[in-house]
Amino acid sequence: MYLCLQTHRKWSERTYVKNLLSSHVWGVGPGGFPVCFQATEVCICPVEFNPHFVAPVIPKVEWAVFPEVADNLRLIQVPKGPVEGYEENEEFLRTMHHLLLQVEVMEGTLQCPESGCMFSISYGISNMLLSEEETEN
Amino acid sequence: MCDIEEATNQLLDVNLHENQKSVQVTESDLRSESELLVTIGATVPTGFEQTAADEVREKLGSSCKISRDRGKIYFVISVESLAQVHCLRSVDNLFVVVQEFQDYQFKQTKEEVLKDFEDLAGKLPWSNPLKVWKINASFKKKKAKRKKINQNSSKEKINNGQEVKIDQRNVKKEFTSHALDSHILDYYENPAIKEDVSTLVGDDLASCKDETDESSKEETEPQVLKFRVTCNRAGEKHCFTSNEAARDFGGAVQDYFKWKADMTNFDVEILLNIHDNEVIVGIALTEESLHRRNITHFGPTTLRSTLAYGMLRLCDPLPYDIIVDPMCGTGAIPIEGATEWSDCFHIAGDNNPLAVNRAANNIASLLTKSQIKEGKPSWGLPIDAVQWDICNLPLRTGSVDIIVTDLPFGKRMGSKKRNWNLYPACLREMSRVCTPTTGRAVLLTQDTKCFTKALSGMRHVWRKVDTVWVNVGGLRAAVYVLIRTPQAFVHPSEQDGERGTLW
Repeated sequence: MYLCLQTHRKWSERTYVKNLLSSHVWGVGPGGFPVCFQATEVCICPVEFNPHFVAPVIPKVEWAVFPEVADNLRLIQVPKGPVEGYEENEEFLRTMHHLLLQVEVMEGTLQCPESGCMFSISYGISNMLLSEEETEN
Repeated sequence: MCDIEEATNQLLDVNLHENQKSVQVTESDLRSESELLVTIGATVPTGFEQTAADEVREKLGSSCKISRDRGKIYFVISVESLAQVHCLRSVDNLFVVVQEFQDYQFKQTKEEVLKDFEDLAGKLPWSNPLKVWKINASFKKKKAKRKKINQNSSKEKINNGQEVKIDQRNVKKEFTSHALDSHILDYYENPAIKEDVSTLVGDDLASCKDETDESSKEETEPQVLKFRVTCNRAGEKHCFTSNEAARDFGGAVQDYFKWKADMTNFDVEILLNIHDNEVIVGIALTEESLHRRNITHFGPTTLRSTLAYGMLRLCDPLPYDIIVDPMCGTGAIPIEGATEWSDCFHIAGDNNPLAVNRAANNIASLLTKSQIKEGKPSWGLPIDAVQWDICNLPLRTGSVDIIVTDLPFGKRMGSKKRNWNLYPACLREMSRVCTPTTGRAVLLTQDTKCFTKALSGMRHVWRKVDTVWVNVGGLRAAVYVLIRTPQAFVHPSEQDGERGTLW
């Protein structure tokens, strides 16, 4: 599952973008920076396909960053955008279901392209804590 | 894998919902009782009686009476629905009512009162409740068998972030060591909240029993039933103690039925609940409290699953909602959410790596359980765990529909002083990630003073719509239900520079 998260610093406008396991909320920072991350272990976990669950998510996906992220993970057949009439298109929905809900990054790191800060992913859990100097202005 | 499939095939026969068939088999013996209506009593977390009543209406179609004795609700069902009653997620314990006395007349002296209790035993309408108990016991037998098979075939799990993978032999060991790790198993089970509880032979309530115990009980066909009496007494004007009432009432029950009294290995548990002038005699239908159901890895402040369920109900989740618990601890709330509202997406986050690990372990346990139950080779659950800082959530502005969490009370976790900074910061960050207008938050805390103060500065983003007063592990706490206003989140740096500090 992918979740594109964004952190918001207290005072600055800088944001971090991250893809990890979880839901289907795709987002990207206001600058539109793509994420860079390294995955050392990816797991495909079967999840029962439910078109009613996937379809409402499609409009929320940030297509600008999606292909880049998928590239990083060396995934194939990544759609560049929603197809016409996607709600009925089972093949499209199944592809998105697979990419969003079944691909899990188990081990790896995430780097914010803007600040260079690194976040680790371990056992499928990503550590999004900012260090001391990052939380200060 | 094939072991599990075999076991699963066997288990499909004993699936709770399949018990309708077995109920009917029994019922062919009790043909006239197939229409039998019974009154069921349920204990629920104090403060959530209405939520529980709503669940009963929704799932069973029965309306509830909420007792003056707080934390109890009563409803009438037909015996056929008994299996479904066990699927209620807002109830801790269930019992079948033998008789209810709205206004019991206690005599003046202790001796007379106790004599009355003795006489009472022989006059109560036991036969129907006992039939219900018997039907219920057949559910439990199958459930216990299934639990045993579960434990034997549970999958490998990752232990506390270390590389070690635990196989099934060590499952029990792993649970114990986790209990020791967290020092305290579950504060929220503290019976100190009860007024005066006593059982037939002055021992304390034995809620968790060994699996082997239960199976040996099942194997032998008991000729004589074993029982115990548990008396809960609350009220100022009683001239007797629960101990005495349990003892004398129990003695009379023993004479009447010729059962054997046994504190720990009982078949029948008789309940004598006395609340001022309300006396209710019942037979317990649940042994270990249902509120432990989801959590295998406890932390120091694990929330009861029934309480978590109640809180989630207050959010009124809609399909495809994104539900976040940003201070999840062991993950009690998101796990309950993923089980009951599986068409929503749940995210569990905490800053403490121990907590996140526990949550992940609990999720893994849940996956294992549901895999075995559903008979599918693997089955994802709409839930994930992240380590993060509540004051700097890595979530997009306005992306979350519901926030539900158990704020640190400042007693066992955190400190009151810390709350003065933490609560406002939390509320602010939560208001950022929560969708304006439709978003809502349900927050539990004991530090109500600090919370109210923090909330008063947030009226432009949060509107309080309800407060539910609850009792959590002996502490008076409140559950606040908040709605996110339409006002979009404005970053502090975009505001006038006057408000220098955050609080």
